[in-house]
Amino acid sequence: MLAYIIRRLFAVVVMLLVVTLVTLSIFFLIPKMTGSDPAAMFVGKQADPASIEAIRQKLGLDEPILVQFWHFVSGIFVGRDYTGGGDTIHCAAPCFGYSFRTEQDVWTMLVDAFPVTLSMVVGAAVLWLVLGVSTGVVSALKRGTVIDRAAMITALAGVSLPIFFTAMLAMLVFRTQLHWVDASYVPITESFGGWFGGLLLPWVTLAFLYAAMYARLTRATMLEVLGEDYIRTARAKGLPEPVVLGKHAMRSTMTPILTIFGMDLGALIGGAILTETAFSLHGLGGLAIKGVSERDLPLILAVTLITAACVVIANLVVDLLYAVIDPRVRLA
Amino acid sequence: MLKSSQRRIAAGALLAAATMVVTTACGGGSGDNGGGKGKAGAAGFNAAVNKVANASDKKGGELKFIGSQEADNWDPQRGYYGFVWDFARYYTRQLVTFKAEPGAASTELVPDLATDAGKVSDDGLTYTFTLKDGITWEDGKPITSKDIKYGIERIWAQDVISGGPIYLQQVLDPKGEYKGPYKDTAADKLGLKAIETPDDKTIIFKLPVANGDFLQMLAMPAASPVRQDKDTKAKYGLKPFSSGPYKWESYTPNKSIKLVRNDKWDAKTDTVRKALPDRISVTFTTNADDMDNRLVEGEYDLDINATGVGAAARQKVLQQHKDNVDNPQTGFIRYAVFPQTVIPNIECRKAIIYAADSKSLQTARGGPQAGGDIASNMLPPALKGADAKYDPYGKLAGAPDLAKAKEALKKCGKPDGFKTTIAVRNNKKIEIATAESLQQSLKAVGIDAQIDQFDGAQTSGIIGSPKVVKEKGYGIIIMGWGADFPTGQGFLQPLVDGRFILQSGNNNFSELNDKAVNGLFDQALKETDPTKAGELYKQINTKVSEAAVYLPFTHEKNIIWRSSRLTNVYTADAYNGRYDYASLGVVK
Amino acid sequence: MTAPLHETSAGEATATVDGAPDAPGTPDNSGASKAIEGRSPWKIAWTRLKRDKLALAGAFVVVFLILVAIFAPVIVGLLGHPPDEFHEDQIDPLFGTPIGSWGGVSSDFLFGVEPVNGRDVFSRIVYGARISLLVAFLAAVFAVFLGTVLGVIAGYFGGWVDAALSRVMDVMLAFPQLLFTIALVSVLPNEFLGLDGSGVRIAALVLVIGFFGWPYVGRIVRGQTLSLRNREYVEAAQSLGAGRFYILRRELLPNLLAPIMVYATLMIPTNILTEAALSFLGAGVKPPTASWGQMLSTAITTYESDPLFMVIPGLAIFITVLAFNLFGDGVRDALDPKGSR
Repeated sequence: MLAYIIRRLFAVVVMLLVVTLVTLSIFFLIPKMTGSDPAAMFVGKQADPASIEAIRQKLGLDEPILVQFWHFVSGIFVGRDYTGGGDTIHCAAPCFGYSFRTEQDVWTMLVDAFPVTLSMVVGAAVLWLVLGVSTGVVSALKRGTVIDRAAMITALAGVSLPIFFTAMLAMLVFRTQLHWVDASYVPITESFGGWFGGLLLPWVTLAFLYAAMYARLTRATMLEVLGEDYIRTARAKGLPEPVVLGKHAMRSTMTPILTIFGMDLGALIGGAILTETAFSLHGLGGLAIKGVSERDLPLILAVTLITAACVVIANLVVDLLYAVIDPRVRLA
Repeated sequence: MLKSSQRRIAAGALLAAATMVVTTACGGGSGDNGGGKGKAGAAGFNAAVNKVANASDKKGGELKFIGSQEADNWDPQRGYYGFVWDFARYYTRQLVTFKAEPGAASTELVPDLATDAGKVSDDGLTYTFTLKDGITWEDGKPITSKDIKYGIERIWAQDVISGGPIYLQQVLDPKGEYKGPYKDTAADKLGLKAIETPDDKTIIFKLPVANGDFLQMLAMPAASPVRQDKDTKAKYGLKPFSSGPYKWESYTPNKSIKLVRNDKWDAKTDTVRKALPDRISVTFTTNADDMDNRLVEGEYDLDINATGVGAAARQKVLQQHKDNVDNPQTGFIRYAVFPQTVIPNIECRKAIIYAADSKSLQTARGGPQAGGDIASNMLPPALKGADAKYDPYGKLAGAPDLAKAKEALKKCGKPDGFKTTIAVRNNKKIEIATAESLQQSLKAVGIDAQIDQFDGAQTSGIIGSPKVVKEKGYGIIIMGWGADFPTGQGFLQPLVDGRFILQSGNNNFSELNDKAVNGLFDQALKETDPTKAGELYKQINTKVSEAAVYLPFTHEKNIIWRSSRLTNVYTADAYNGRYDYASLGVVK
Repeated sequence: MTAPLHETSAGEATATVDGAPDAPGTPDNSGASKAIEGRSPWKIAWTRLKRDKLALAGAFVVVFLILVAIFAPVIVGLLGHPPDEFHEDQIDPLFGTPIGSWGGVSSDFLFGVEPVNGRDVFSRIVYGARISLLVAFLAAVFAVFLGTVLGVIAGYFGGWVDAALSRVMDVMLAFPQLLFTIALVSVLPNEFLGLDGSGVRIAALVLVIGFFGWPYVGRIVRGQTLSLRNREYVEAAQSLGAGRFYILRRELLPNLLAPIMVYATLMIPTNILTEAALSFLGAGVKPPTASWGQMLSTAITTYESDPLFMVIPGLAIFITVLAFNLFGDGVRDALDPKGSR
């Protein structure tokens, strides 16, 4: 078990390094290819070549890509100094870079944005897991009935709606027309009511899409499981139906759902770009868009890395949980 | 033009007097709310445009700004956004600053830290200022001439604190000999030769070449004092050390700012800043539509960015809350410019100008109120020398002149039209809409214009580089421009003076390099009488129009929300039609 | 955002080929199935598909949309105005919204007019279908091609090839696609590979969406290949001395066809959504070319006063994606009797 975890952790680290290097290369090479100069953007309206050059040095943009990569990675563990023009900016570990656009540690910005995304995703996840799985189970048990058909058509409609469209519709109806909810995010530490009201629409919107996906998935998996021999055996043994369903069928059904859930959660925490854009929430997804539109390379790097980390770590956690849920799985 | 601005001032004064009568009735906060939910009476549509609405000297309360756009930097030497310059007067002072008067009168410069507006030598090369007594920092220490010099020197450190205007650097040290205070080898870090501080009360500026707008540059926040022991360099903008009536209590970027009274600031030394509210707060929201709603609901007093009510709320605001709305001109011109390297033939450029549909472009900009008035030349009406009626290409009629466009195309040798590219920033929806409008009207005379949306975050490296412009074949560039200081030099020189063509960060996109124009600028710069300088700028404007390198769309206007709580509120030309923040107060 | 494509799990779809049509309403079919000798599995699937009314409805809409896209100029010529033509007389200049109620809907403008410039929404929706479908189809083809080739290679050759390709897929699945695409598209040159204007953007969208789609196909195909590789008929072919490529071509690919088909059909709606999302975020085709996602993005500023302009392109995306999903589900069920219906 321990050896397995260590091996997987090692793989995670290697993968994150690769993602970092790839991102760095892409965002370093694209401006080069198109002949634009990232350093020029840090200088004011009346840019002169000398100050552009100085900024370039301070940002380390004149160094080879591997050196930049090394600076970035080592900065995460030991911190990093940016020197230029007689001034040194210290970025303490964990240093995910320093944004010269905002004069802030990227880490501070990430820490700032994280609660927004976390609140949004976790709230929505609770909703969609409950709604989606229960709908799926009911559909599977009532297979072929009107309930099943209605639920599945609704679910199919749900997965066919672009989330930014659902978001706008929700805002139009519940905010502009009915004035039921507020529009902007309030930290939970300031006011629970404000936090709840501000996030209600994003929760419902996001949960609607994912509940639809989970209902479909749960139903399909459940049907497959119900056809398995051991369920028949259990029934033949004369076990009461609730036990068969609750203990045996649900367990096997939940295994693949958990896999997907882990991945989705990871991906969403890393950047629900569309949802955050549509609702103007400034979480990690909002930071990502800000980074791209302002060509803030340190910010882009950090957000990409965090996104990737969330996905692979979620995968790892799911794999570990398997061992707990499904006795057939042995880690080796 | 001179005449029209005089008329405007006169009209403004009359209306101001009229509103005084009205507002005294409202001063007590009577219940008459003209359609708005505001607590006191709303002063009426355009009540604060070029005149004072709700005049008052009542102190106290909290002035609540809200904004959807954070500052580029609150460091006085780094900020370049207009609203930062306006807001900076709360916590910075300058040798001279703009007069606290509505409209055009605001462009007059008055002494601030200095006892007078400076003694200028006959050759216009030496400016001497004496500092007032009793001017202090927020810790009570006096502000000295050395603090002012050090603050100005920080402009040279572009490699550490980039982003701000560098006019003073260009005027005082055109050869770039000084390396900035952070690389200064002198013990006191005051190695800049062009500024002398013989004692703590005297500061002398020595210019290599005279510049009639030098005082304008000294009025910018970039000329504010900074005390060396309080200089946190790149991080100074996170908590500037105050010399003004308010000091920074707390600041979380992208979230909020709280300013409180600086009790060390002595009102007797300051003739400009009213300092009415006890506290000033700024809240940044992520959602501009939400911001508009909160303003309408009375939660906040005004939009710090003053970029105007968004399209979503515009209809509601204008129909139901018109009394809380001002519709000032911002001093910006929105325009298309034609790089001569790409379209060298003047007749071809004229064809574009004639074929453009001004009315359609105005609608794309947001219509007559949210967009602005149709512009026919390149000098904003608020500047000396401007004449909004000067219309060499008949654009004020609002319709394209297809006959003249076709005639110009014939003269250009391309009777069936030609192909070109419109360059437009990809992050400005309205500019993309204007590009589409232009594309449509050009099609009518056979000019096939492709739209290229370039990376709006990289303007200086793309359209700011003549080489890239030529390579990409940008025949038409959509842009907007507002003056850094309210004179012809501040507005026009970076745009049309041939000596301002840069290889990167260029703003003279047309690459106009006309000896006559350049010469007129030299003459105007030497001119210390603003009216005479205005006459020269008028001539420049005519020559620029004749060169057919610009197609102005609109003299921009914004729809600004003014809460009923605000007192002593008026728009100032010196701040591009924004309210003069330093004069604002609140009821209660 | 992950693609909503997790329904098919690896290693299940091959059973499809020798299944028989299940009697409607039978809760469990695997026991009741009788293999009918001589009937091709494709015919069986076709029979099943024909019985699925929802899938047929989906197919009908899909065909209709494809026809609309192909004959866009004719349709617009009959019922609308040129898609780029301004009609500012339909617009209130003060607010930029349509003068007529309901977004300016009239017999002249069937779906109303666009705010600010008054372009015919109907024509733009019709032309928008072209972009949506073109990008989605081509990207799916590209993704399926890459995914099949690389998936088969990984699954069939195994060893370090498999390990390397699997890691590449892992990295790609963890990579933020939208972010990357926006950054890439915003710095694309004006002319590229001999294309200009919107051609560059369409090519870029196809390549990027397809490129990020292949690992999903690749994973499935790899799993299928792995499980097929050890089947008796493959081993038999090997023992008879058949070459690797012969086996790949003659024995494996035909058996992979069913899951690939299912995947390709289900990938198109996802691609439509992705294209719309990219256009929504400003990384789609260039103006004045019409696209549904871009119309939605324009609608953000005015949807409170002119909701119809938001609702129509949203519905267009919804109906198209729903139709493809219905059809795709039907195809999957027809090829896989163990599936959901």
